[in-house]
Amino acid sequence: MSLLLRRRFFWEEIDLMSLLDILLLVAALLASGLFVLGRGSFAGWLATVVYGLMLAVLAIAGLALDSGVAFIPSAMSFEILGRNLGWRLDGLGWFFALLTVGAAFFASWYGSGEWGRKQKRMGLQHALLALNVLAMLLLLSSGDLLSLFIGWELVSWAAFAIMTQGGGPAVAAAYRYMIYALAGAMAVFAAIMLVQNVTGGLGFADLQTAISAMSTAQVWVLFILFAAGFGVKMALMPFHLWQAPAYSETPGASSAFLNAVSARMGLFALILVLVKLTGLEALGSLAIPFTFMSAKSALMWVAAITMVVPTFIALMQTDARMLLTWHGIGQGGYMLLGVLVGTSLGTAGGLMHVFNYATYQAALFLAVTAVIHRAGTSDLDELGGLITRMPWTYVTLLMGIIGLAGLPPMNGFVSKWMIYKSLLDGGQPLLLIMAFAATLGTILSVYKLIHNIFLGQLRREHQHLKEAPVSMVLPMLILAGIGFVTGFMPGLALNITDIAQRAIGGDMLPHHLGGVTLATGSLNMLWVVGVLIGAIGAGALIFYLLGNRRYEVHQFDNYAGGHFLSADIRYHFSHEFYPGLARVIGPWYRGSIVRAEQGIGILVNVAGDLWQAVFRVAYTPLYMLLVVVLGLVFTGSWGIVP
Amino acid sequence: MMSYVADFIFMPLIAFVTGLGLVLMARRVRAKIERRVGPPVLQPIYDIVKLYAKKTQISHGIMHDLSIMMLLGGFITAEIFLPVPGFDGLAGEGDLITLIYIMMVPMLGLALGVGSCANPNGSIGISRALTAMLAYDIPFIIAVTGACMAYGTTNLIEIVQIQQAGGPASWGAATMPLLAFGGLLAVHGMMGKEPFEIYIAPAEIATGPMVEMSGKYMGALFIMQCFQLYTIGVIYTTLFLGGGENWPFFLAKVFAVVFISVAVTNVYGRFKTDTMIRWMWKWPTGIALAGLALVMAN
Repeated sequence: MSLLLRRRFFWEEIDLMSLLDILLLVAALLASGLFVLGRGSFAGWLATVVYGLMLAVLAIAGLALDSGVAFIPSAMSFEILGRNLGWRLDGLGWFFALLTVGAAFFASWYGSGEWGRKQKRMGLQHALLALNVLAMLLLLSSGDLLSLFIGWELVSWAAFAIMTQGGGPAVAAAYRYMIYALAGAMAVFAAIMLVQNVTGGLGFADLQTAISAMSTAQVWVLFILFAAGFGVKMALMPFHLWQAPAYSETPGASSAFLNAVSARMGLFALILVLVKLTGLEALGSLAIPFTFMSAKSALMWVAAITMVVPTFIALMQTDARMLLTWHGIGQGGYMLLGVLVGTSLGTAGGLMHVFNYATYQAALFLAVTAVIHRAGTSDLDELGGLITRMPWTYVTLLMGIIGLAGLPPMNGFVSKWMIYKSLLDGGQPLLLIMAFAATLGTILSVYKLIHNIFLGQLRREHQHLKEAPVSMVLPMLILAGIGFVTGFMPGLALNITDIAQRAIGGDMLPHHLGGVTLATGSLNMLWVVGVLIGAIGAGALIFYLLGNRRYEVHQFDNYAGGHFLSADIRYHFSHEFYPGLARVIGPWYRGSIVRAEQGIGILVNVAGDLWQAVFRVAYTPLYMLLVVVLGLVFTGSWGIVP
Repeated sequence: MMSYVADFIFMPLIAFVTGLGLVLMARRVRAKIERRVGPPVLQPIYDIVKLYAKKTQISHGIMHDLSIMMLLGGFITAEIFLPVPGFDGLAGEGDLITLIYIMMVPMLGLALGVGSCANPNGSIGISRALTAMLAYDIPFIIAVTGACMAYGTTNLIEIVQIQQAGGPASWGAATMPLLAFGGLLAVHGMMGKEPFEIYIAPAEIATGPMVEMSGKYMGALFIMQCFQLYTIGVIYTTLFLGGGENWPFFLAKVFAVVFISVAVTNVYGRFKTDTMIRWMWKWPTGIALAGLALVMAN
C-alpha cells in the first residue's frame, strides 16, 4: 500500500485533472454516451466496465484520503453572482460515492444480460442509471451550500426520471415522490437562504458562523428546515409515504440501485449538515422548552420511530418488493440512530450499516427481480416452493434476509450490534428496546418473504421454471458473498467507514479484523462465525453419521389431515401469514399519516382551484366589490390616521 | 489452545447431559402431579436412540437436512459462548447481545426446514412459533437491557463476577427483583410451557412444526429441546442468580429455574396465540418496564 502511495501517477503530473475531475468527467461522458449508444447490446457491458474503472479510481482516491489528505479538489468551479461554486470530495462523500458506484456496477451488470433484453427501453435505463450516478457524485462532492443544493435537485430529478421507466403505476408513484422531493428541496433552500441572510455567504464555514450568530429561535428554524428537507429523501417518518411505492415500481436492476443508495443521499446530507457542520453537541444543547429533550434526542426518537413503524408495515405487505422497500425505510432509522448517538462506536456502526444495507438490500432486490423474471410476479400469495427450481436465487435471498434481520453470520448483525451497544453505553435503554423490537419484527417479516416465495408448495405452473441465467445470478451471489465476508471479517468494512468517520471528526473507533474490543463487552466475528460454521459441521456429522438411512421424497409427495394432497389443490399457507399477530396489532394500523397526506392534498387542491378561479374566471361584481371595500378601508384609515 | 479444544468439546457435552436431566425432571414432575410413576432415569436417552434408529426417515430436500444441522449447530455455538464454572469458553469474544442473536439461528433453521417440508400444518406451526417469539422476546429483551444497564456491561464473564463479588445480596434477583420477575415470566414463554405451548402443540402433533419430522429429524429436535432448556436456564442464572461459583450450586440454580416453569405449567390450559401476545405484552412487559424505570432512577 505504501509503495502505491509513493508512486506518482500520471494524472498527478497534470495539475488540471484531479481524481475527482476524472471521476466526474468519466461519469458525464458515460451518461451522455449511453443516451446516444444505449440501444446497442454492448452498452450495458460497456457501462459495467466503466463503473468498474470508476471503482478503481475511487479506490486510489480512498488510499489518498486514508493517508491523511483532507479532500480531493476539483478544477471545476463557477462564479455566479459573485459567489464561488466549487466541488471537492472528502472522506464522507467518498464513502457514499463508493457505495453509489458499486451499486451501479452490480445493477448495470445484472441489466446487461438476459434481463435487460426483455426490457422495453433498456438503453434509456442504462443512460438514466449513469445520469443518477453523475448526479449523486456531484452531490457527494459538493463544496458549499449552493453546490449542495444543485446536487440535491439533480439527484431528485434523475431519480424521478428512472422511477418513471416502469410506466403505469410507476409514473404516479414517481410523481408523488417528486412532490415530496420538491417540498423537501424548498425547505433546504429556505434554510440555505436563512444562512445567506445572516452571514452573506454560502460556504460550509458560513453555516457554522451563522449558527453561532443566530438566536435560538432562528437555529431551531434552521434545524427543522434542514432535518425535514433532507429527511424527506431518506424517508424519515412522517415523510416516508412516497418511498415504498416509488422504489417498488422502478424496474428491477434500477430499483436495486435506488434501494441500495438513493435514500442514503438524505443521510449523507444530514450527517454533513447536522453532524459534521453543526455538531452533535450544538444539537444536544438545543433544548425543547418545558421538556427534558433536545433537538438531538428528538431526532433520535424520530429515527427510532422510523425504525419500528415501517418495519411493522412491511410485515403486513403481500408484495415482495413492497415488503423490502418498507424494510428499507426502517433500516434507514438504524443508520441515523447510530450516527446520532455520536460515540465512535455509534458513528462507525451507523456508517457500517449503510455499507451493509447496500450489499444485502441490492442482493435481495436482484433476487426478487430474478423471481419476477422467471415466475412473472412478486405477489407473495402467488408463489411458493421455488427452492428446487431456483436454488441459487434462494441462497442469495437467504443470505440477504439473514443480513436484513441482523443475525450472525452476516454483516447486518455486526453493524446492528454496534448500534445496540452504543445505545446501551450511551444510556438509551428505551431506544435500544425499540431497536430490538424492530429487529424481531424484521425476522417475522423476512421469514414470510422467503417462505412464501421459496418454501412450501410448488405451483403446477411453476413446475418447469429454470434458474435465472448466470448474468443475473452471479452479481447477486457476489453481493451476498460480500455480505458474508464483511460479516466474517467486519474489519474490512470498518476500514472503509474509518475514512468517512475521520472526515466527520470526533474519536475514531479502534477495531481489528474480527470486530471491536471494548471494556464493556467485545465482539470478535472471526470466533463467532468460525465456531458457528464448525458447530454446523458438527451438526452435519451427527446428522449423517448417526441414525438410520433417510430417503428423500418428491416435493409433491405430501399430505394434510390424513389425506394425500395432489398438485391441483392449493395448500400453500401464505395469505395472512401471522393471523394471531394481526388480530392483536391489526387495529393499530390506522393509516393516520396516509389520511393526513390525503388531507393536505385536498387542501392544496382547493387552494389551487381558488387561485385558478381568480385569474381564469371573471367574477366582475366580486372584483368591483373588493376594490370598493379596499378603497373604503384605505380612505377610512387615511382619514383616521394622519 | 488445548483449553479451547477442551471448551469446545466439554461445554456442549455438559450442556447436552444436563439438558437430558432437565427433560427428565420435567417429565418426572409432570408424572408426580398426575400421580404416575414417571419414566426411568435413562428414558431421554432411550428416546433419542429410538428416534435415530427408526426405519422411517423422510427427508424433504436439502434445506430440510440443513435445518437440522443449523439448529444443532446454533445451540452448540450458544453453549460455547455461555460461561459456566471452570469454563469461560469464548464468552469474552462475544457478549450477551451476540448470544441472544446466536440463539435465533436455530429458530430460523427450524423455520426454514419446516417450511421446506411443504406441509401447511407445519407452516402454521412456524407462523405461531415466530409470533410467540415476538411475544416473549419483548419482555425478555427489556429484562436483559435493564440488567445490562445495571451491571454496566454486556460481558457475561463480568456480569457473573460482579454478582459473585457481593454474594447473594448482589444477585440480580435481589438488586432488581422486578426485572428478574418479568424475565422469569418471559423465560416461561420461551420454554414453550403451558399456557404458552400453542406453537409446539405437543398434544396434537399433526398441527405443529413437528408434523413432517420423522426419525432422526425428530431426534434432533429432542436434542435441541435439551440444549434449549439448559441454555435458557443458564442465561437466566447468569443474569439474575449470580452465575455459577461451582458446579453443584450452578446446576442447582439451573434446575431451579426450569423447575419453577415445570412446576407451575401443569395447572394451566392453553392460550391462543393472540391471547399469549396480549398477556406477554401486558404483564411481563409492564413489570419489566417498571423494573427498568427503577434501574434508570438509581
